Amino acid sequence: MIKRCIAQPVKNAMLFCRSNSVASLPELSEVTHENTKALSTNPLDHPDYFQVHNLFTVKDLFESRVHYGHKEGSLNENMKPYIFGSRQGHLIFDLDITANHLRAALNFAAHIAYRGGIICFFNRNALNAHLVERIAQECGEYAHTRFWKGGIFTNANHQFGAVTRLPDLCIFLNTQNNILSQHTAVRDSAKMLIPTIGIVDSNCSPNLITYPVPGNDDTPIAIELYCKLFKAAIARGKEARMKFLQENN
Amino acid sequence: MKMYLNSSKMLLLTRIALKHAFPKTGLSSYFTKKSTFRIQNVYMYSSKASSSTENVYNNFTDWETLSRKKKVSKAMKAYLERAKEHDEFMKRQQFEFNIGKRHLANMMGEDPETFTQKDVDRAIEYLFPSGIYDPAARPLMKPPEEVFPARKAAEFDEAGRPHHFLFYTGKPNFFKLLYDAAENIQLLHKYEDKVIRKKETPDPNASLDLNASVWLTKDQLEQMLVEAINDLEYDNFKLVMDRLVSLPYSYRCKEFIEKYRKTLSTQRFALEIPKPSYDENGCAFVTTYECLRKKARGDVTIKCPGSGKITINGQDLTYFEDTQSREQVIFPLIFTGMENKVDVVANIEGGGPSGQSGAIRWGIAWGLRSFVDKSMLEAMQVAGLLTRDHRRRERKKPGQPGARKKPTWKKR
Repeated sequence: MIKRCIAQPVKNAMLFCRSNSVASLPELSEVTHENTKALSTNPLDHPDYFQVHNLFTVKDLFESRVHYGHKEGSLNENMKPYIFGSRQGHLIFDLDITANHLRAALNFAAHIAYRGGIICFFNRNALNAHLVERIAQECGEYAHTRFWKGGIFTNANHQFGAVTRLPDLCIFLNTQNNILSQHTAVRDSAKMLIPTIGIVDSNCSPNLITYPVPGNDDTPIAIELYCKLFKAAIARGKEARMKFLQENN
Repeated sequence: MKMYLNSSKMLLLTRIALKHAFPKTGLSSYFTKKSTFRIQNVYMYSSKASSSTENVYNNFTDWETLSRKKKVSKAMKAYLERAKEHDEFMKRQQFEFNIGKRHLANMMGEDPETFTQKDVDRAIEYLFPSGIYDPAARPLMKPPEEVFPARKAAEFDEAGRPHHFLFYTGKPNFFKLLYDAAENIQLLHKYEDKVIRKKETPDPNASLDLNASVWLTKDQLEQMLVEAINDLEYDNFKLVMDRLVSLPYSYRCKEFIEKYRKTLSTQRFALEIPKPSYDENGCAFVTTYECLRKKARGDVTIKCPGSGKITINGQDLTYFEDTQSREQVIFPLIFTGMENKVDVVANIEGGGPSGQSGAIRWGIAWGLRSFVDKSMLEAMQVAGLLTRDHRRRERKKPGQPGARKKPTWKKR
């Protein structure tokens, strides 16, 4: 029954994915040709100014177990397009789709870093919290892996006792607060028009996330990979920014 | 000039008097109590707290925009305004304090130029003798920087970027502490793995001795972090630190662990015990004055080589008619096993037999400290022999027959 339910959307998704599969090769050649020229133009005009496409391959994702979803029964309807199929009762993500979404997310993160935005990492999984905090510190960015006090975004002036600048990008390495409920910060970011990147597992809702990345959000090795990629993307953005400021100031 | 001086003096006096009358209201600016400890900590933590040295990007402040001109964020503007206000306020307070100090010096007939803080404290104590028990509630006059707690410095730079990487949690210092503890635990695990791989044996001598210290209390931790934490968070702190300490190589993080431990105070009465004096026969004796219990007042002398003779107001133990009072008097002697080794002479007046015997009991125990060893001293402390009983008779209340007793209650 479940299999049949999933079979049709999966087929659709596969077709969608095949037809939209962006092989990074054409972009790559374009970038390499115009590499020197690209840096002098407006970064926003360029499809992949920071060349985040070469940060990882689908094989890396596979080896980091990004394709493992939860059990069939816990599937969120909105996650159907990203599912490849199921194996022994467990859902498997289509890594081609994931790779596209992840590249878009990395590109966005790099652009935010380039613009001097504040990036805040979120993760409510105690197993990975320390890793996320460490990566945030290494990036020179911010982390919040603790209990979310209501109103940190929506009532910030009261919470911090002064006018406070809020993050310009929230990166959720898991979007759930616990297995039953979504992280309140997802909703609050949407309220405050703060763009979000979120790793959404098969049991999470991608609706309020600006840049959802379907993938495994529990396994430490997968989280490690995401952290490494975001760190690299942010570093590229900041490097470009430093370079720009040195040249122009 | 004289007029001005007089009026100013009056002002000063009223201020001090007001403070005296309402010690908690803080009406006058510089007569309040606040510890300086807090202030140092604020400075310690308020500067850039993240210590990531490898992070080159943090050296860079102009994050707001890529354009040439610097843009100051709203947050920073608001902070600068507040800081300016605070500075002006402190300047005014400093000025008023200096004038007040000069007046005080004139009142005491001393040179205002060489009038130090010590002199100020002495003068205030002389001019406003206070019977208030809590020293913090007594009138005082301190420099404004000691009275007003230092404000947290800006927690963000000109572009509004917070300095601390856990700023958005609301309690960055506390969560940084948990983060550091977790980091240390991971390092120790790695080290342990390395040792096992090399098949080395751990050094038996290197270990962490934590018997003489305890974890900081919640209040102390709050003061150290300059952040309010709740009970659950304090429990988490203790949990994670206990886990760190329980690891076999925890001595490697000794410095980190000891920052959050407080040493227990050693035998506090060790220094205060008086040396016995000697009379003309070479007999050691110790006299304890002000032995109080209920309304009884008296003094007790203990002579060391003795035969167990007890003299109370010229009589022997039969001065007390009931056995309970007699037991009270000899209890410290029996407890220490000195009943046949010392003589006791007590002069006592006021109160009844219970109060008098209690006063003598405390006097004997207090005097015996000079003749017993350290372990016995601790035993006496535990037994409550060295504790003063400050309870007094409670007054009768109107409308009821006694202090607490109520008339018989009848429904109708």
